[in-house]
Amino acid sequence: MTNTIEVSLWRGKADGRYQTFSVPQRENQTVLDVVTWVQRNADPTLSYRFACRVGMCGSCAMTVNGRPRWTCRTHTSKVVENGRLEIGPLANLPVIKDLTCDMQAFFEKWQKAKGVFAPSKTKNDPIEKILPGSPPRQAADAAIECINCAVCFAACDTVRWNEDYVGPAALNRAWTLVNDVRDAGNRDRLSAVAAGGGCHACHSHQSCQEHCPKALNPTASIAGLKRRTMQAYIRREL
Amino acid sequence: MLERFKTDILILGSGGAGLFAALHAHQANPSLQVTLATKGLLGKCGCTRMVQGGYNVALNPGDSVERHFMDTIEGGKWLPNQDMAWKLVTTAVERVRELENEIGCFFDRNADGTLHGKAFAGQTFDRTVHKGDLTGIEIINRLMEQVWARPVRRLEEHRAVALIPARDGASLSGVLMIDIRTGLFRFVEAKAVLLATGGGPTMYRYHTPSGDKSMDGLAMALRAGVPLRDMEMVQFHPTGLLAGVDTRMTGTVLEEGLRGAGGHLLDGAQRRFMADYDPKLERATRDVVSRAIYAEMRAGRTTPNGGVYIKMGHLGPEKVAKQFKGMVERCADCGFDLAGGLVEVVPTAHYFMGGVVCDVDTATGLPGLFVAGEDSGGAHGANRLGGNGVANSTVFGGIAGETMAAWVARNPASGEPDEDILGAELVRAQLPLTAKAGDLNRLRERLLDIMWDDVGVIRNAAGLARGLDKLGAIEDELLATGVPDGDRAFNLTWHDWLNLRSLIEISKVITGAALKRENSRGAHYREDFPEAGDLATSTFTVARQRGGRLEISDQPVQFTIVRPGESLLKEAAE
Repeated sequence: MTNTIEVSLWRGKADGRYQTFSVPQRENQTVLDVVTWVQRNADPTLSYRFACRVGMCGSCAMTVNGRPRWTCRTHTSKVVENGRLEIGPLANLPVIKDLTCDMQAFFEKWQKAKGVFAPSKTKNDPIEKILPGSPPRQAADAAIECINCAVCFAACDTVRWNEDYVGPAALNRAWTLVNDVRDAGNRDRLSAVAAGGGCHACHSHQSCQEHCPKALNPTASIAGLKRRTMQAYIRREL
Repeated sequence: MLERFKTDILILGSGGAGLFAALHAHQANPSLQVTLATKGLLGKCGCTRMVQGGYNVALNPGDSVERHFMDTIEGGKWLPNQDMAWKLVTTAVERVRELENEIGCFFDRNADGTLHGKAFAGQTFDRTVHKGDLTGIEIINRLMEQVWARPVRRLEEHRAVALIPARDGASLSGVLMIDIRTGLFRFVEAKAVLLATGGGPTMYRYHTPSGDKSMDGLAMALRAGVPLRDMEMVQFHPTGLLAGVDTRMTGTVLEEGLRGAGGHLLDGAQRRFMADYDPKLERATRDVVSRAIYAEMRAGRTTPNGGVYIKMGHLGPEKVAKQFKGMVERCADCGFDLAGGLVEVVPTAHYFMGGVVCDVDTATGLPGLFVAGEDSGGAHGANRLGGNGVANSTVFGGIAGETMAAWVARNPASGEPDEDILGAELVRAQLPLTAKAGDLNRLRERLLDIMWDDVGVIRNAAGLARGLDKLGAIEDELLATGVPDGDRAFNLTWHDWLNLRSLIEISKVITGAALKRENSRGAHYREDFPEAGDLATSTFTVARQRGGRLEISDQPVQFTIVRPGESLLKEAAE
C-alpha cells in the first residue's frame, strides 16, 4: 500500500475554508506536485499559480504549514508533519481564488521604492568598466538575485501591520541600485525610501532573511538604506 | 459575455520579446496606447527568465559580428534565413549596451572591469555575456521594472485564443482573449499585434520550458492561415532531470557545463556508454549525446525511472558543489545528491526553432500581425546556438516595437472585426465546457508519449506515420472530452484543455514537417535518412493551413550573404 498525505487546501476567496484531500506520497515529490496531483486527479476546479517549476520565476509561493515558501522546490519530506500538510495562499496579499493571490500591490510598492534603474548613459556609449571586487559592486551583487516571489513580503510583520510599508523585497532592490555606480536616480530613490512606509518603518524582525528561499538578507539591505538615508539627511542632501 | 476595447498596439507575451517591444513602441511614440497581455504574471511566465547560460554578442575586439554570424549559420546547418541571422548578430551589440546602460542589467565583469564572455558550445569565441548562471532573471527583472514604470496597459493572466481578421480579410483586426482570473472573454481590437508568446515544445514526455507554454501562438497563427517554417526542428537538451511520475521538475535542465567539467554518463547497470557513440565521449555536442542517451533508452539499458545516470562525484563532491552551486542546490531541494551521488537524467525537449515566416523587420504575411522571439522562424535554421535564444527575443522584440509604431503611423485605423469568425472562435473556446467531463490528464500523458516515442530524438518514416495516426485519434478524443463548467474563474482545467488542443495541432505540423524532410540536419535526425544532404541545394519546410487542410512544401534556402563552402572570415578564406 502506498503512503498518503492528508492535504488541507484553501478553497474560495478570503472567506473560504480548508478542504482535505488524500494524496499518494512519492519518493521525489514537491509541494507543487501535491497541489498539481489534486487538480489533475481529485478536483479539477482547484486554482493555483506556477510557471517555471525550478525556482526562477517566483510565481508559485504559498503558505505551507503556516510558513510562506516557494512550492516548486520544497520537497514534501521537509514539510509533512504527522502525515499532514496545510496549504493556503500567501499572506499579506488579496486572495483571487483558492491558492492564488493578487501580487499587484507587491509590484506597485517595488515601484514606489524606486526599484527601477535610472540610466546615466545610452546604448551608444561603451559599457562601463566596473571592477568585480569593488565594494559597491559586491554590495549590489549580494542582494541582486531576488526573484520577486513575495515570500519575504508574506512573512513580514510590518507589512501586516502597516499598509503603507513597501516591504523587504522593494527595499532590497532599492539597496542594489544605491550601490550601482551606473545609476543616476539615487537622490530621488533615497527620498522615496526615507519617506513614510520606507526603510525606517522596518522593525528588524528579520523574518525576511529567515524565509528568503534564495538566502538573501533584505534586513541587511534595509539597514544599509537606514544608514545611507541618515548620512544623506545629515549632509542636507534629503 | 464579451467585453471589448481598443488599443493602438497589442503585445502577446512578456518574455524578452514582449517586454522589449513594449519599451521600444512606447519610446518610438509615447502617445500610442500600448497594451501587453500575458498568460501568467508580467515577466514571470515564459522562458527568457529561465535562461541560465547567457547572451551571445560580439563585443570583444578579438571577436567580430562576422564570426558570430558564421557560427550561427554553421550551427543552423545552413538553413537559417541569412538576413535575419545577420540582423541578429549585428543588433545584439547595440542591444547588450542598451540592456546594461539603459535597462540596468548588471552583467558579470572580467578582473579588469570589462564585460565577461563565457565559453559556450558550438562557438569559436567566448562571447556569451551573463550574470552568473541566472542571466535570464537579471534580464527579465530589469525589463519588467522598466515596463511597470511606464504607462503600458497590463493584461496579466490573459490567454489569447484567436487572431481575428478584419471584415474584409485584408488585415488583422484584433485578438480574442480569456481573462483567466474571471473566466470572461475580452476582444482587444488593435492596429498592430505582436505575437511573442514563445514556442516551447511541451508536447514531449520530457521538456524544459515553463508550464504555461503550450504553442498557443503558433496554433493561432496556423489557424489564421499564416505560413510556418522549420516546424520539424525541435532542439533536445541531453540532460534533463528525471524524478519519476507526477513530478513537475522532471525534464528541467541540468546544465551543459556538468558534462564539460568531466561528468560521466552511465547506463542503468552503471556502465559508461558514450565511447560506443563518439570519441569525444560526454563532451560531444548536444544532439549527439541526446541521440546516444535515447538509443540507450530504446535498448532498455535504463535506470529505475527509465533514463541514464549522470555522475559527478569522481571530480570531488566539494568541488562540484562549489562550481555548480545552483544545480547542486536545485537537485538537493528535490531530494537528489548531484555532487556525490548518481542523478537520473533524460534528453529533454528544450527549444523550438520553427515558427512564423517573417521579414527582418518582424512583419508577417498578415498585415497588422508581427512576430518575435520563439514564435518566429528563420533565425536559427536547423539548430540554435546556446546564447542565441535570448539574443533573438530581445533583438527582434525591440525591432518589433519600432516597426509597429511606424506601422500604426501609416495605418491609423484598425479594421472592424469579422463578427462571424469572432462568434465561431467564442464557440470554439467554450467547446470543452459543453461536453461531458472526462479524464483530461490521461490524454495529456498519451500525447507526451506519442511525441516522445514516434516524433522524438531519432525519427523514421514508419514511426512518424504512426505518430500522425495517433495524433488524429487523440484529437478526436479530446474534442469529445469536456471539463466541468462551474466557476470559470481561474479554471485551470479549462486552460489545460485549451493547452492540449494547441499542442496537438502543432504536434501534427511537427510530425508532417518531419516526414517531409528526408535528411538529417541539426536537431532533426532521420535514421532512415541519416545524411545531411547537399548543402548547396538546401531547402526548408513551410507549413500552411488552407481550407482546413495542412500543406507542407519545401522552399530553397536563399544564400543571400554567404554560400556553403564560403566564409565571411578572412582567415578561413585564405
